[in-house]
Amino acid sequence: MKRLTEAEKIQPHWWRKSLIAGVLGLTFAYGVVGVFAWFGPGGIDAPMKVQLNMWLISFIWLSVVSLSFLFKTATTALYRLTLANIVIYLIFIGLWTLL
Amino acid sequence: MKIRADILRTYQSIHTWTGILTGLLLFIAFYAGALTMFKPQITQWAIPSNQHLAQVSSDQLDELVTQAMGQFDKARDGFIISFDENQSPMKWYEHGGGRGFRLDDQLRHASLTESGEITTQMSSTNELGTLIDQLHRTAGIIGKVGHEDLGVIILGVAAILYFLALVSGVIILLPTLVKNLFALRQNKGSSRFWLDSHNLVGIISLPFHLIIAWSVIVFAFHDFFYAGLGVVYGDKPLFERPASSNVEYSVTELPSMETYRQQLSTMTHGYQIVSMAFSNLSTKNPALAVEVKTDGQIMRGGYSDFIYLNPYTFAVQFNTLNQASEGVYGPIVNSLFALHFGNYAGNFGRWLYFAFGLLGAFLFYSGNLLWLEKRRKKQAAQQASTRFMASLTIGVCLGSMLGVSLAILLTKWLYLITHQPNSYYLACYYVVFFGAIIYSFFRQPALAAIHLLKLLALSCALIPMSTLIFPLLMQIKSTANIGSHLGVVDITALFFAVCFYVSANKVHQRAHSGEPNSIWALS
Repeated sequence: MKRLTEAEKIQPHWWRKSLIAGVLGLTFAYGVVGVFAWFGPGGIDAPMKVQLNMWLISFIWLSVVSLSFLFKTATTALYRLTLANIVIYLIFIGLWTLL
Repeated sequence: MKIRADILRTYQSIHTWTGILTGLLLFIAFYAGALTMFKPQITQWAIPSNQHLAQVSSDQLDELVTQAMGQFDKARDGFIISFDENQSPMKWYEHGGGRGFRLDDQLRHASLTESGEITTQMSSTNELGTLIDQLHRTAGIIGKVGHEDLGVIILGVAAILYFLALVSGVIILLPTLVKNLFALRQNKGSSRFWLDSHNLVGIISLPFHLIIAWSVIVFAFHDFFYAGLGVVYGDKPLFERPASSNVEYSVTELPSMETYRQQLSTMTHGYQIVSMAFSNLSTKNPALAVEVKTDGQIMRGGYSDFIYLNPYTFAVQFNTLNQASEGVYGPIVNSLFALHFGNYAGNFGRWLYFAFGLLGAFLFYSGNLLWLEKRRKKQAAQQASTRFMASLTIGVCLGSMLGVSLAILLTKWLYLITHQPNSYYLACYYVVFFGAIIYSFFRQPALAAIHLLKLLALSCALIPMSTLIFPLLMQIKSTANIGSHLGVVDITALFFAVCFYVSANKVHQRAHSGEPNSIWALS
């Protein structure tokens, strides 16, 4: 494996990355769960589905947070997670208008 | 598997920080959680058998209920019918009752004599099992935030960090996972041995830990997540509100007990009815909570499932049984609860969860020890921070277990002097817990560890002793005849007495003939 230069290495940026992933990871999780809740199997009225939806939020959220330290810098984390949010909410709105 | 060095370093830091911040809290939650697997057995062990009155046959129940309501005002508000062989057939709260738990609740037990006359007896509730459960849920942190316990919220935050610790722990282990998983290297020094066993336990119980971390976060923050979900749902209400009724019910219209068995029989097919708790009987919102259980199936509650219904109309308000009407999602949600409670595989499953819980506690304890070893200097005097963490780890972990084992030990003796043991349990736990922490700061941590482990061994060994002696003392005090036989609580205590004694000897050995430049060395 070739040695990485200082600029190529992951920067810690603990607080900024945690904060960014904490907020944007949560909104992303709500986006995914929103798509699943309205357009997933059974639709919005399936019995007991609301409880599973609530459970899913925390799992998606923390998966995003725990993997966000792989972003090289806090700024990349901000850009990529914002992009992920835009994509998931576009899907949500798209499905909403199409169906 | 190759992983870049900078990634490993990043996740190593996350693992260290999340671990050291939460390890001690999680240690308490896990070992106490292991004990709660047997909460019903602990409660039954704690209550002297003479507090329960004789069970009656099911066709006598209506006679018992009629007589009780005729003579006792409180029984007309609500009562509990129990079908358990070892419990009184009927009970009601003379003081307290309702949601949550209090230390000074008073129960009146009722049964029928052979001639069909009602006989009753007052007793305090025994909250030993509930207090251990409370310790499990809050790590012993007192206080309330709104309607939620402060300790639950703090453990919820700890569970978020614990989730990060799990993910980071797996990532830093990946490069050496296949080669070293089952290698327990004893010849490379004790710190390598601790690391190997920490990794092995962490990997084999990873699914258990993921489900625990996830469910604890949900238990602590469900209100928060539901609030956000309300926005996603828009105009759709999250839950249907039950229509409130304006009918004023009267206890005189209460159907017979036999009617309930018939009404419930189709719904509870394959289940056994444990108890039926009636409350608010003469109001607009009367309630009946039917507790049912089964072995080897998932259950939504820790030890049972519940059906809530209107005792007059039999309309079911809420039901935790897996019903066909709940579609695919009902069973999934219920199984998430069951995976936390470990109630889906009978007693074998409970012992398995007991073992996983203790292994979890070991994971956090060994994690702290590894942190200490890593900071060890090749000199006799160690850094103040290392010394502080060593004392704290010993004091908190061993002190908490000593507090609980002494509280369990006290149970039988408390019944000689009082009928109200619950507040003594709390006093005993907190005095011992803080005493142990203070002791391990004043003495060297190694010395404190040896002493606390020996005390733990002694107190555990005395638990089965008192079970044997107690009936004799009770006989001297009164004529009550209480059987004495060792149950699962006593056998388990004896097993742990041996474990703690062996550990004490190991720590002693290391202190005198181990590595001299260590926080654990005694000269």
